[in-house]
Amino acid sequence: MIQQQLEESQKKWTSRLIFLAICLIVCFIANVSLGSVAIPIKSLLTYLISGTSENDTWNIILTNFRFPKAITAILVGSALGVSGLQMQTLFRNPLAGPYVLGISSGAGLGVAIAIFLGLHFGGFMELTGIGRSWFLVCAAGAGALLVLLIISFAASRIRDSVTLLIIGLMFGAASGAFVSILQFFSQAENIKAYVIWSFGSLGSLSWDELTVFIPLIVIGLATSMLLSKNLNALLMGENYAISLGLNLKKTRLLIILNTALLAGTVTAFCGPIAFFGVALPHLTRMLFNTSNHLLLNPLIIIFGASLMLIFDLIAQLPGMDITLPLNAVTALFGAPFVIIILLRRKSLNYTHS
Amino acid sequence: MSLLETKSLAIGYHSGQNEPKVLQKDINLSLQPGEIVSLMGQNGVGKTTFIKTITRLLPSLGGEVRLDGKNLIAISDKDLAKKVSVVLTEKPFSLNISVIELIALGRHPYSNWLGVLSAKDKEMIEWAINETHINYIANKKLFELSDGQLQKVMIARALAQETDIIILDEPAAHLDLYNKIEVMLLLRAIVKTGKGILISTHDMQVSTQLSDKLWLFNFNEPVIEGNPEDLILSGQLEKTLYLQDYGYDMIHGSVRLSQNCIAEIELQGEKEVVFWTEQALSRNDFKSVSESDIKISCKHLLWVLKTHELEKECTSIAQLISEVQTITNKNQSPND
Repeated sequence: MIQQQLEESQKKWTSRLIFLAICLIVCFIANVSLGSVAIPIKSLLTYLISGTSENDTWNIILTNFRFPKAITAILVGSALGVSGLQMQTLFRNPLAGPYVLGISSGAGLGVAIAIFLGLHFGGFMELTGIGRSWFLVCAAGAGALLVLLIISFAASRIRDSVTLLIIGLMFGAASGAFVSILQFFSQAENIKAYVIWSFGSLGSLSWDELTVFIPLIVIGLATSMLLSKNLNALLMGENYAISLGLNLKKTRLLIILNTALLAGTVTAFCGPIAFFGVALPHLTRMLFNTSNHLLLNPLIIIFGASLMLIFDLIAQLPGMDITLPLNAVTALFGAPFVIIILLRRKSLNYTHS
Repeated sequence: MSLLETKSLAIGYHSGQNEPKVLQKDINLSLQPGEIVSLMGQNGVGKTTFIKTITRLLPSLGGEVRLDGKNLIAISDKDLAKKVSVVLTEKPFSLNISVIELIALGRHPYSNWLGVLSAKDKEMIEWAINETHINYIANKKLFELSDGQLQKVMIARALAQETDIIILDEPAAHLDLYNKIEVMLLLRAIVKTGKGILISTHDMQVSTQLSDKLWLFNFNEPVIEGNPEDLILSGQLEKTLYLQDYGYDMIHGSVRLSQNCIAEIELQGEKEVVFWTEQALSRNDFKSVSESDIKISCKHLLWVLKTHELEKECTSIAQLISEVQTITNKNQSPND
């Protein structure tokens, strides 16, 4: 009887995942075809099949702007959701997210140093152009990597995971303070450049940058699937996980490295995108009523990607010439969504993760 | 060969930079196949620390632990998980997983790298669920369960782990009498298949009726090993648990609640009715003796209270007690 049930639930989940994948494709098409210029789906399909459509302007828009941005949105949505989930399970804390270890603060610090000091000493960087982009990516990546190294070192020495969490928080506070000091002594235009970076953006990646971005995120997502089994064991608590044969220190280090890879890469290329990483795991757990990582990971990858495409679509305000900052959109539309679901369920039982 | 053996093992814990705190040392014990052993001792004596040490959740402070003759330190994580399963007092951190999912986690050491269950895994899960009679809650989430149900689910998970040694920390703590007996019978059935079970418990029923051996931990004294009845008769169990302070009656396995005596009463009649009447009287500070002026003859649902002056029939123990209290109050001087 039990065996039958297990097989039935396997079928049920497979069909749900297929349905979600179809939703993702719909979101992708909507995201690519809508914007300040609407492109009909028929031309879009022609472009997809033959690599060109009847309108040259549309070709340029699709190749240089819409496709890179949609691909970025898919990867950012999955990456932030998955890394948030990993942190929530590892730290047994529903408030944890991809940035809980201080990765975004580290990246922010790197960018702040680059913008404020880099421009101060000789102004060798223009604020626009391709050079600027790689420069900021490297600065943010270096900052995130530095945080990662320190946290990994701490993780190898400390047995208690919550202590690690506190170290991450302290780290965030310290780098935040340092950024404030830098801002205090900076000129207005540099501060504006920093603030714009901190809004987060999906649209700034070129195909060049995507050739680095895509493989890094795909490696991270694949690793998260491989970590599913151990993450599930951690759902029982660390002592039980060890009694099931799990090497706690090794697993924890892997989870932290993988989160840093995903969140660090996203932050380096797109800026700190808040809210999404904390809220998406909750949203997925609530909607699909499961905490099994073997299901949650693919669910979050597909659902997170679809949701990020929708948020991006809202941010580009179809039919209008302006776009909203992505961070504002994710929180503005995401928070009420989470609240409504919470109120309807009237129970916080799912927060036992 | 013993399933588990400790050789001059010392247990305890490290706290900060200080010297490690040793709770017990020179522990030499062994667990044989087909045996249930109860670990007993007061709070803080090191029972849970012992369990965590032999499951490698805590480092030992000296000596060694051998599983099937192999040193615990030399066994790989995965092999250890295939030899020893454990039910701790802590609850699982996530209660949003279903009973089946939790029990499936017991197959962690056997399943493939992605954690997908094989046919054998599914068979073992079904077996564990059937053995523990939890079919009716198999699809519930953990947060929907009572503490007792959760306890049985945790035991089922340990069974699914398919280990020779099963260690249970306080398994009876949340269970009512019915479920406790069911778990006791289940454990007895499991050890018949050649497994060994170690239980840490404060429960006299579990320890004396269920176990083949007791291991008694005392503060600053060597660990004592023996047959439960031997340890009761030699007074060792009593000494370990300091039960004499509370008037524990070893022979009847009950607690004498009260040391005062208002009056002595003679009880006669049906054995079962006398037993419960005596318990009620003793709770109200009356002592049952073989001869007294106050006599009660006990029959099913009828108690006859006799003294020199009066004879009264009562139909419930509550009524009887209040009658006895009236009589003894009269006999006593009012200024008392």
